[in-house]
Amino acid sequence: MPPPTDIDAIRTAFQADLEEVVSDQNLQTVRDRYLGRKQGALAALMQSMAGAPPADRPALGKAANALKRTIEQALANRRKTLQASARPAGGVDVTLPGRETPFGRRHPLTLIREQVESIFGAMGFEILQGPQVEDDYHNFEALNMPPDHPARDMQDTFYLDRPMPGAGGTPSTHPATLLRTHTSGMQIRYMETHQPPVRIIAPGVVYRRDTPDLTHSPMFVQVEGLLVDEGITMADLKGTLITFLQAFFDADIRVMFRPSFFPYTEPSAEVFISCVFCDGTGCPVCKKTGWLEILGCGMVHPAVFEAVGYDPERYTGWAFGLGIDRVALLKHRVDDIRLFYDNDLRLLEQFPH
Amino acid sequence: MRILVSWLRELVTLPVGAGSPVNIDELAGLLTMRGFEVGAVEPWPAGPANPTSQAGPAGGNEPPDAVLDLEITTNRPDCLSVLGIAREVGTVYGTDLRMPELWSDDDDDQRDPIAVTIDDADVDLCPRYAGALVDVEVGPSPRWLAARLEAADVRPINNVVDVTNYVMLELGHPMHAFDLDRLAGPEIRVRRARAGETIRTLDGVQRQLESEMLVIADAERAQAVAGVMGGADSEVSSTTRTIVLEAAYFNPIAVRRTGKRIGLATDASYRFERGADVEAPVRAIARARQLLATIGAGQPRGPVVDRYPTPPAPIVVRLRHHRIGHLLGQTIDAAFVAPTLTRLGFDPQLEPATDPPVWRVTVPTFRVDVSREEDLIEEVARHHGYDTLPTTYPAPTEPARPSGPWRARDHLVRQLLTGCGFSEAITYGFIEREPALAIHANAEDIVTLRNPLSEKGAVLRPSLLPGLVDSLIHNRRRERQDIRLFEVGSRFCHRDGETPALALAMTGDAVACHWSGPERKTDLFDLTGVLVRLCEGFGGVATFEPGTAGHLVPGRTACVRLRVADATTVLGTVGQLDPGFAHARGLTGSDAVYVAELDLRLLTTGAFDHLRATPVPRYPSITRDLSIEIDDVLPAVRVRDTIRAAAGPALVSIKEFDRYVGAGIAEGAVSLSIRLTFRAPDRTLTDTEVQSVTDDVVRALARNHQAKLR
Ligand SMILES: [Zn+2]
Repeated sequence: MPPPTDIDAIRTAFQADLEEVVSDQNLQTVRDRYLGRKQGALAALMQSMAGAPPADRPALGKAANALKRTIEQALANRRKTLQASARPAGGVDVTLPGRETPFGRRHPLTLIREQVESIFGAMGFEILQGPQVEDDYHNFEALNMPPDHPARDMQDTFYLDRPMPGAGGTPSTHPATLLRTHTSGMQIRYMETHQPPVRIIAPGVVYRRDTPDLTHSPMFVQVEGLLVDEGITMADLKGTLITFLQAFFDADIRVMFRPSFFPYTEPSAEVFISCVFCDGTGCPVCKKTGWLEILGCGMVHPAVFEAVGYDPERYTGWAFGLGIDRVALLKHRVDDIRLFYDNDLRLLEQFPH
Repeated sequence: MRILVSWLRELVTLPVGAGSPVNIDELAGLLTMRGFEVGAVEPWPAGPANPTSQAGPAGGNEPPDAVLDLEITTNRPDCLSVLGIAREVGTVYGTDLRMPELWSDDDDDQRDPIAVTIDDADVDLCPRYAGALVDVEVGPSPRWLAARLEAADVRPINNVVDVTNYVMLELGHPMHAFDLDRLAGPEIRVRRARAGETIRTLDGVQRQLESEMLVIADAERAQAVAGVMGGADSEVSSTTRTIVLEAAYFNPIAVRRTGKRIGLATDASYRFERGADVEAPVRAIARARQLLATIGAGQPRGPVVDRYPTPPAPIVVRLRHHRIGHLLGQTIDAAFVAPTLTRLGFDPQLEPATDPPVWRVTVPTFRVDVSREEDLIEEVARHHGYDTLPTTYPAPTEPARPSGPWRARDHLVRQLLTGCGFSEAITYGFIEREPALAIHANAEDIVTLRNPLSEKGAVLRPSLLPGLVDSLIHNRRRERQDIRLFEVGSRFCHRDGETPALALAMTGDAVACHWSGPERKTDLFDLTGVLVRLCEGFGGVATFEPGTAGHLVPGRTACVRLRVADATTVLGTVGQLDPGFAHARGLTGSDAVYVAELDLRLLTTGAFDHLRATPVPRYPSITRDLSIEIDDVLPAVRVRDTIRAAAGPALVSIKEFDRYVGAGIAEGAVSLSIRLTFRAPDRTLTDTEVQSVTDDVVRALARNHQAKLR
């Protein structure tokens, strides 16, 4: 189609042609069509002006020049736009490895501990931390384990050669002389300073003077829980722990409570879950019993309440203790507890961020 | 405790299904569910342990036998015996106990009573002592008796010693036999050891006694360590003609202390220290005399002499029926409660006119674990079955209290550092003394363990670094090159007690080897950069000053300061680990290791709690680059201080973007290129303004540091 020859028609046609431009090549074609020295629409317009009445020529010339500038400007803008959105030439091998920003992992025992904390946190438990270097009173005596009590043999203890200042360096009537064998001391401290209702868990590292082997470490991580109020029963203990264990492991696991002995609870129980590896049918992990021992618990012994000044007639409560290491060994099938303390990145990096 | 099922069957009837033998696995399961965990059921040959078996080793029609390997908790010493387990089994099945046959003393036989004296002052250590004579003919035990001991892992010795062990296993009460002829006369003295007294015990070891220890002596010297072990001098031998049988009750704490002190733990001390039955001694002697007579090993002579000055009053505990339901969460039928307690040996008497019922329960002397109502409730619950209790969920009666600030702090530390590529380590709280001293030079301040497992855990860590460096080296020795670890934990010293700390360690490449470009080794500034990020996460600004520390390389050590709001605190140190330290911990090769340790008490969340956002800048900024030549030992922080002071409020950032030493730069000098960014909150700065400020900066640098503009 030959270019139009009057100014308005040229402008309209140019606008339409410009719309169609998608490449440098289109752009050149449009430029040639309108601004070409010989064939261009404007050149033709200029020539046609020669036949116009002389009086009209200046105005026509002015209008033609204005149109030329408009077209030049529009073409220049279009070129810029085309350049900016031009795609780069050549591809890359997208299968080459990317640059990885290093990221670390929380320790598996921290992950488990945080899961336990969040489940109990959702059940309204306050999370406490206490000192690792404890005094005999809070670790043993207040928990119904007077000196020379045979039950102390159940928790072989590390002692300091001389007392250390108590938690945070405060002087205490009970000099800190040992590494806590459980986090129960924190429960005593809490009850000494708070009235019921009590809903707490106390996670932390504890120490037992056990020779390290596949399932024993002289230091390990424990979470203990305590609930005290009026009218708390062993049925509540069962209900709460089953809720926790099913939330932690699997909603389908079965839970078994079996009589046991701890000096600070009466009645006492050991809690088992149906083996998570064989679904209770029997395998090497559960030693063919179908059950895995998971925690110890019981109703708080009245002597413990008396030690902290609670009325055992009015208040009842329960306590439990859970070995985080043991849970981690079971849940993730790690076969040697000592691996947790080697901090071997080949193990740590298998766990989520 | 290993118990032969056939022996158990002698004392209690086990139900037998029609034509089928007792289901031993079921029995094991029932005991386990009542608190006596059966670790193993071992099949056992039926014939040899049967006293009435006439058949050969193949056995007659005896039911199959087995050994139950039971775990007895420390509170139940009464169940360290066939009788104790039989009582539990009888309660499970509702069958009656059969007490073993006892020797009936002939009251007319008053021949040669032995003299027994307990020093008045020592009655608390030995509230009861019974002794009696038996004329014996020492020889091997009959096969069934020896077989029963062997099933319990007790080695048969001779008929006399075997009978005392048999009675201990059967009734639970430890016994001892002295050779009368080897005592200095027919006399037993229960007394404390004398100063300097020694005894050679049955295991052949000469032992030093102490004055708190109770001994069983003749008129001259100690012949046994009471409740722990007999003496070799009066040991029963093949030539023994008469024995003194001993059955006593010894104070549990005293036996425990003595055993620990002389380093001896025996079957007897194990029972005494948990609590024996103070009513058992005379019965034990009667049983032993009966057995010795039955197996033709001896003939009792004379009366049993029983010294029991003050028998304790029986313990009576009130048990309120409603309290059972109150504690367990379910009412247990009263018709279950009383019979169960009765079968277990308690004597529950209903208090008149009580509804719900209340019992006055007399506790048998063998139940040393029962002294309160809760103890009885446990007995009821145990036999009713924990699985029969309902499951309920206790409704909170108050909103949960928030956890302490430590929790948010530790969580944030972990979040920030894992984001910086550091993985979390957990290391032991105790470490070797040497690395502890290398970091914490004050030896007096280090907390030492009295009974460490080994030298590897001799002291409580005054710093988290030794353990963390060990973990780093553990990884380095396992082909791992790029390692970044951190630990959050307690450190200990006598001066400050237990305080929370954070340690970091890194080595290897900071920029990993990649196809697109070269790797770059970690240096100090990678770690200081992480600390800047960490402090920023807590709403603070980290600054570094040259510092020193024994375990860090001089000149590559900084003191870390934290500024939050207007307060500045010393947070810790950062630096390159002394290669000597790393080498001593087992690092091979020459990798540079960078470490930092911070006082976690100073990092507190909450800096953002009162954050008021400043307006986002509305006017453009202008930058100016300066290259100056300065003394190469001049800390960059001094240059910054000078710039900041000279530039005034329009300066919004300083960035050192190049540092160059070499051609064109004077010896001992360094070229530092700095980009200054200026901005005003209320207008666009003019070139003239910025140039004027920049000139001020250049003049100040020249004045303070003799800096030359390049
Ligand atoms: Zn299994």
